Amino acid sequence: MPKQGSAPAARAALSRRSALAGATAVLLSAGCGGGSGASSGGSTQTSGVTITVALAGDPLPQAALDTFTQDTGITVKWVNLDWDSLQTKISAAATANTYFADATNVDWSRVGQLGRLGWFYPMESYLDTDAMAEDVPQLASFSTDGHVVGIPYDASFMVTTINVDMFTAAGVDPAPATIEEYTEALRQIKARGIVEHPLNIPFAAAEGLSTYWYETTAAFGGSVLDENGEAQFTDPDSGGYRAAEWMVGALTEGLVAPGSINVTDSQGQQTLMAQGQVASTFSDYSGTVGTLYDVPASSTVVGKVRYLPTPGVDGPAANLSNPDGIGIPKQAKYPDAAAKFIEWFTSQQQQTDFAGVNGPEKAYTGYPIPSRLSAVQAMTSGGNLVQGDALIPMLEKSRPVFEGGAPTWYPEFSNAVYTNLHAAATGSMSVQAAMEGVADKAEQLASGS
Amino acid sequence: MRTRTPALRWSGIVLVLLWSLIPVYWAVKTSIQTEADARSSPAQYVPTRPTLDNYRALLTGSGDVPEQIRRASLNIVIECGLATIVTVVLATLAAYAFARMHFRGRNLLFYALLATMAFPAYTTLIPLYRIMSSLGLVNTYTGIVLVYVSGFLPLATWILHNYFASLPVSIEEAGLVDGAHRLQVLWHLLLPLARPGIISTALITFLFAWAQFLFPLVLSSDISTQPLTVVIASLQGRHVVPSTLLNAAGVLAIAVPAALALIFNRYIVNGLLAGSTK
Repeated sequence: MPKQGSAPAARAALSRRSALAGATAVLLSAGCGGGSGASSGGSTQTSGVTITVALAGDPLPQAALDTFTQDTGITVKWVNLDWDSLQTKISAAATANTYFADATNVDWSRVGQLGRLGWFYPMESYLDTDAMAEDVPQLASFSTDGHVVGIPYDASFMVTTINVDMFTAAGVDPAPATIEEYTEALRQIKARGIVEHPLNIPFAAAEGLSTYWYETTAAFGGSVLDENGEAQFTDPDSGGYRAAEWMVGALTEGLVAPGSINVTDSQGQQTLMAQGQVASTFSDYSGTVGTLYDVPASSTVVGKVRYLPTPGVDGPAANLSNPDGIGIPKQAKYPDAAAKFIEWFTSQQQQTDFAGVNGPEKAYTGYPIPSRLSAVQAMTSGGNLVQGDALIPMLEKSRPVFEGGAPTWYPEFSNAVYTNLHAAATGSMSVQAAMEGVADKAEQLASGS
Repeated sequence: MRTRTPALRWSGIVLVLLWSLIPVYWAVKTSIQTEADARSSPAQYVPTRPTLDNYRALLTGSGDVPEQIRRASLNIVIECGLATIVTVVLATLAAYAFARMHFRGRNLLFYALLATMAFPAYTTLIPLYRIMSSLGLVNTYTGIVLVYVSGFLPLATWILHNYFASLPVSIEEAGLVDGAHRLQVLWHLLLPLARPGIISTALITFLFAWAQFLFPLVLSSDISTQPLTVVIASLQGRHVVPSTLLNAAGVLAIAVPAALALIFNRYIVNGLLAGSTK
């Protein structure tokens, strides 16, 4: 699966969004006033049909699909495309009002865009999403304008990871609760010479930098945009402004390596954190301990890294969600059958199977963390999720990056975020100018100009 | 200054070559390494234990990924081959007509055809997708080939037009005086003379078709028609594909166009320069 829940997938998924913007923008402009949101009036048939499921990931285990077919009479044709290509296909098919799949990817960052364009059926028309919400905390990331655009099929959220050995060797508390304590601990690690640059911030002008800032903004008690899409970070006392100051300051102070100016999030995880060159990543991806840092083939810090409740201003802060979901495009031939598949695919039973709780033969390759809390709990108690006990409370309290849903203009906004923050990090502009630059862009995008 | 010029020139050439070839070298190097060697730190700049296992796995191995790569390789050969043949045939006829025949609106039609080359490909994607969908040609070889032909025909026509225009009219007139009709003149007299131009056009069309990604991505739905370019990209989204295998697939994907470009370099350059000088 193309999941942020695992490091390799995360780097791919996050670095793609800006690349997607160009193709999607052209497709959107081509489709304006055209087939956008139009429904092809798919069949309500739910038995004896074949549906196409297009996701950026390996096919589900054949035995699981066979069981689904036996139980429902629905045959599933699985199409695997990389995340970028899939988004292009979704846009092209919706714009041309042409069928390509009955169920496909809905990414958190595109929820606002997809909701506004009406390209997907509202999931509350097919599933009891209200009942689902309690067990699926990240469902909130898929709601926009009162509709649920997709159902998350796994969990992904930003977390803080620390190399406990390095914190201990420096004689500092390996569980700092506030960002002040955390920063001081990093200073001690540097001062004691445990590592020269203890903090990992991927300052390359790429999506990973934007994501890092969102999480840091939340840790400073702020939000990026309000429900109307207005920037919340131009006031020097705002969370976003302080987060940017903290990040750039960490670089200036030497807590972050100067070379990080060209480091992407995946490089930061795989090279710096996994090779023991830094002591902590403030905004890492959920699941990386099990999928990367504890894997001997890719890590020299096996058993040394653990999740830390993200330090906030007065204590642990919320973890922001960035999951992928699945929804039903309006051009689906069999939307009702697709809904049955989604219900099955995201059920607690299937998620525990896919997570390997009920045996490796039922496991789904690369499936990181289930979207259902009950499945994560089963996974943790079964010993199938590394440090699951630490992840569960984070998942429970995780919240959307944008309370009002990701804006339709998210790709351009993210581009402005990482471009300006990168410039601030290089010293070519001040933090204030960077924040104003991002705010101006947000205002311009929100006004449609 | 005179003595420095060659040094500067060679420095520039070396820089450009390194810039272009290092990524290719890295892909080739990774493709002949084991996964452990490819991931070793510090990185191995030269493989210490080169192996062809990744190529063997792709070309003869069983399993989902090798089978997809082989099927996608077949698809791309079929799609590019058919597109090239159809494009060259149609372009030859069109170019001959535009270069030699006199009819009302000839120049207008010719320049209109050339003007389509200025349209960004994205602008035609959605209309073509809708047309192919309404004709039931999505996810078919026919659909993909037709779109390729529509895309490459203007350039091919232009290249061949320049070739035909550069040939002496007297040869054609002699054929007509001897009683041959136009198609006979074209087939027996002009085509042999224009063979370099036709080869150039075929090569350029084939290479352009081989490099296509967006159109086949949108117009194909599954492995039955997806070309290698699309399938290799899709493998990125999978967790179980080793980077060495991915690089081997990538090297296979560039091997064919690279070989063609190297072997027929002269034709390609001539084709692109056709008509640029008198």
